Amino acid sequence: MLKIEKLVKRYNGGDPVLKDLDLEVGGQEVVSIIGSSGAGKSTLLRCINRLVEPTSGTITLNGTDLTQLKKSELRLARRRIGMVFQSFNLVDRLTVMENVQSGRLGYISTWAALTRRYPKEDIRRAYELMERVGIAHYANKRADELSGGERQRVGVVRALMQQPEILLADEPTASLDPKTSEQIMALLRDLANELELPVIINIHNVTEAKQYTDRIVGMRYGRIIFDDVPDALDAAAMDEIYAGVPAEDRAAQGAAA
Amino acid sequence: MSDFPDTWRKPPFIRNTLLRRGLWLAILAYVVFTMATLPIDWERVSAGMGRAARIFSGAFPPSFARADLLIDGFMESLKIALLATVAGVALSIPIAFCAARNIAPRPVYYLGRATIIIARSFHPVIVAIIFVKAVGFGPFAGVLTLTVYSIGFVAKLLAERIEEIDFGQVEAMRSAGAPFFSTLIYAIAPQILARQVGLSIYQLDSNLRASAVVGLVGAGGIGATLANAFGRYDYDFALAITMVIVGVILVSEAVSGIIREKLA
Repeated sequence: MLKIEKLVKRYNGGDPVLKDLDLEVGGQEVVSIIGSSGAGKSTLLRCINRLVEPTSGTITLNGTDLTQLKKSELRLARRRIGMVFQSFNLVDRLTVMENVQSGRLGYISTWAALTRRYPKEDIRRAYELMERVGIAHYANKRADELSGGERQRVGVVRALMQQPEILLADEPTASLDPKTSEQIMALLRDLANELELPVIINIHNVTEAKQYTDRIVGMRYGRIIFDDVPDALDAAAMDEIYAGVPAEDRAAQGAAA
Repeated sequence: MSDFPDTWRKPPFIRNTLLRRGLWLAILAYVVFTMATLPIDWERVSAGMGRAARIFSGAFPPSFARADLLIDGFMESLKIALLATVAGVALSIPIAFCAARNIAPRPVYYLGRATIIIARSFHPVIVAIIFVKAVGFGPFAGVLTLTVYSIGFVAKLLAERIEEIDFGQVEAMRSAGAPFFSTLIYAIAPQILARQVGLSIYQLDSNLRASAVVGLVGAGGIGATLANAFGRYDYDFALAITMVIVGVILVSEAVSGIIREKLA
């Protein structure tokens, strides 16, 4: 169970990008976050594993308050949170197996990482997951030899190697063609069920959000203004989420204040 | 047709006309001033021409009579260059990481940059003079000198490569909870390895060249052999040495060029 309360994020003392945001995600639900660019979707996701440092508020994952952790504790907590990136962020010059095993770096010693002496159960699990997503035959290929869809599968397997308690996906399909994009969305949905894992997906494609996720959260300029099942997302709600541009919102708020 | 203009000129780099012309004038004035005030004695120049001609005529034909001395000097230069490259590169890697703005904390970054600037700010000949004073004549002073020289070059370029990496890969490791050194090994090392190998080969080539120069001030190697030959007015032997130096440098440059091309 992930519980976000009164989350605020300001960059360098400017206007807040996230404003008193509350969100709860649990079980094995697949939640998509939609909203125009600049609404704060990416910042929200990155605050959860503190790639971006929240300004105030609390984020609790299964009883651990992530915002209060010291550096060493944060590292251990991050092992419990998987992340999938828009541009995959694979290490191009390493093999697929090394990329997949890099999801375990938080668990193995630096020496084992350097010498590539991965634990037997990790190797078995890697093959199992790679087989599940259809990339097992690429284990010894360099990551940059793969196509976009295959690369994102590596990204997903890497995140799952962590045996995370939650999976965050920051626009996982934005760099992919429409068909591959649907395959990755379907994969994320199916894996959430199989591994009983909650998944939060930032996404621009509303059709895919409706089709592949259980719940849609609409953000507009740092606030959640919609949170419901996909069927409840009607034209009026869409208009409200996507109407205007963040700059105008900012100006309007400045005038009101 | 419309009344839009049909000519266009690139705006000058310095917009202010007065400033632009003033700057040109100032440069011109300074060059004239320099020529007028630097003490150049044309009589000595013409006398020197004759001396230079005597030295060159004395150098022909080049003498390979003492080839064993030549080979010994070269082997020593090669050893100096190799040792200095290994030591310099080994020290450059941690210094480069310290001097990379995107991964080092601010104080460490300044320390790393300062180390590089100091290593770069003196020409190897000056460094060699200091080390020859410190540890005496011979190859050890040469190794120390070229190690410093290697740090200045390799660490600087490597730090710049580190600053250019795709940081997303680092983020991916951090988000998985990877410890610091594991992140370096998995996310950064693969991205800089090719450049690192290329730089090391280039530096070996460069050190071989520089070892001939620092030898002139007493830091061992073929440069010392050359300095001795000049000291004894053995201009024919000196020419032989010079020719071999040029030959070896051409070969090493070609070899390192081929290797670096293969790596790219």
